[in-house]
Amino acid sequence: MSLAAEAFVSQMAAAEPWPENATLYQPLKDHQILLSDHASSLSVQAYLRMCGLPVQVVCRYNAEYMSPSGKIPFIHVGNQVVSELGPIVQFTKAKGHSLSDSLDDVQRAEMKAYMELVYNMLLTSELFVQWCDDATAAEISRPRYSSPYSWPLGNILAYQKQWEVRRKMNAIGWGGKTLEQVYEDVNQCCQALSQRLGTQPYFFNKQATELDALVFGHLFTILTTRLTSTELAERVKSYSNLLSFCRRIEQIYFDDKKLMKD
Amino acid sequence: MAAAMELRCWGGDWGLPSVHTDSLVVLAYAKFSGAKLSVSPVDWTWKTLTASVPELVCGDTVVQEPTQILNFLRKQRFNADYELTARQGADTLAYIALLEEKLRPALLHTFWVDAENYSNLTRPWFASRSPFPLNFFIPSRLANVALARILVTRGEGLLHRISEVEGKIYSDAKECLNLLSYRLGTADYFFDNSPTSLDAFAFGFLAPLHKADLPSSPLQSHLRQLDNLTRFCDNVLAAHFSPDKPRLLPPVQETMDANLQKLTQLVNKESNLIEKMDDNLRSSPQHKPHRTEPKPCLSSSKNSTPA
Repeated sequence: MSLAAEAFVSQMAAAEPWPENATLYQPLKDHQILLSDHASSLSVQAYLRMCGLPVQVVCRYNAEYMSPSGKIPFIHVGNQVVSELGPIVQFTKAKGHSLSDSLDDVQRAEMKAYMELVYNMLLTSELFVQWCDDATAAEISRPRYSSPYSWPLGNILAYQKQWEVRRKMNAIGWGGKTLEQVYEDVNQCCQALSQRLGTQPYFFNKQATELDALVFGHLFTILTTRLTSTELAERVKSYSNLLSFCRRIEQIYFDDKKLMKD
Repeated sequence: MAAAMELRCWGGDWGLPSVHTDSLVVLAYAKFSGAKLSVSPVDWTWKTLTASVPELVCGDTVVQEPTQILNFLRKQRFNADYELTARQGADTLAYIALLEEKLRPALLHTFWVDAENYSNLTRPWFASRSPFPLNFFIPSRLANVALARILVTRGEGLLHRISEVEGKIYSDAKECLNLLSYRLGTADYFFDNSPTSLDAFAFGFLAPLHKADLPSSPLQSHLRQLDNLTRFCDNVLAAHFSPDKPRLLPPVQETMDANLQKLTQLVNKESNLIEKMDDNLRSSPQHKPHRTEPKPCLSSSKNSTPA
């Protein structure tokens, strides 16, 4: 596409206001969705609530395949489909809603860096614990992932997903890590986030940004999801300001909805 | 410390102590923290095939991966981050993650996947530094590893094609360079006036891109426009890696260059935004490509960018 056509298309997106019937798609909440997907979905929901944009959450078992990039969650707004937090933030910015406009350049650089830290360490650790740890994979991840499908399709899809994730872990150098090392990484990441947050209500000034949404999504999901061992949650619980941060965001933005999973 | 420490890494060229990013990170950190390392390049040895580079050997322990090596050096009381506050330490972790996620794929692509650069620069260099008969397959093996890493981490879905992710990784990398430039500002190093591990990582990532003689690289030309980052690389080289008495380069005149830099960054940010939106909207299945020609209002938005 030429640059001119792209600019026209983005203008078209900007021309329409946020509709009332925007929907967010994620896998089935009770039986299918996994830790990492639930974390991403909760981050997007938190972000949209922080912007004050109404969105309906719809659960579909094939949400992953409907998504344009193959990742959860994705939103269907008007006649456009956008997936993952990064592109969704850009999309809402085109429509005129943004949480990070008041940040200056250095702060925006910091915000992007901390978001990458969460993706790099927390999300990768979640994926590792789910799929590369044999106990968790066998007891939780594979049964849940394959639950909507009949045998043998469920088995095949679950093993395929596991193979894909393990391949990714090998490519980025996490293939040889032990579970203890991964828990240590989570600890370091939480320590960094805790130090950055300090005693402030949000990460930047008094206003919530997409970083707050992302951190809330991941930490809340880790704290409230039952895995084979509670080590992951214990690491997060040792930082009290992160705990109160999650509680505060839940009370402010999610008071109308029961968020507890399982 | 008592035991001598030996670092195995790729050799140097283009004015750098090593051309390999991870090796450069370790070398720079060793200089910053005052650790004495004896450098043994793996060039022209069979270690190019068997060893994972970089590798630190200290007595009986062998440590690999830059982050592990840096942790090991800190435990040996060579700590360049000693004076950082807790918050600055957290910032370090975050910026290193930013470099790894956003800049590394584009660097791998520039050096190993881009056909012109690979055949004119990277492959001859690595082939000339490997013993016979390894010079026939070491470069292609490294190139395959690089391509696999890019596709697995950035590719979407099972049918990976490099052309689909190229645009995205370059726009991410340019944005990352802009962010680094904002963070550095006019200072000599990222935190106060003494170099830390973040400076080591930034130097390791930026220096090869800055100094290599790449035939075609939009990323390199973008980096060259960011004066404070190139000055940072030259500073580190002059102060820590030059054989004569270390001397900091004089600060470049600020005002005119600062304006030019801001303008350049603005242009790049706009094109980044357009590329990102294009990706979102192009990948949406509901959206049908519009057939009309560009409206006049577009030409006015184009005019707002400086010529």
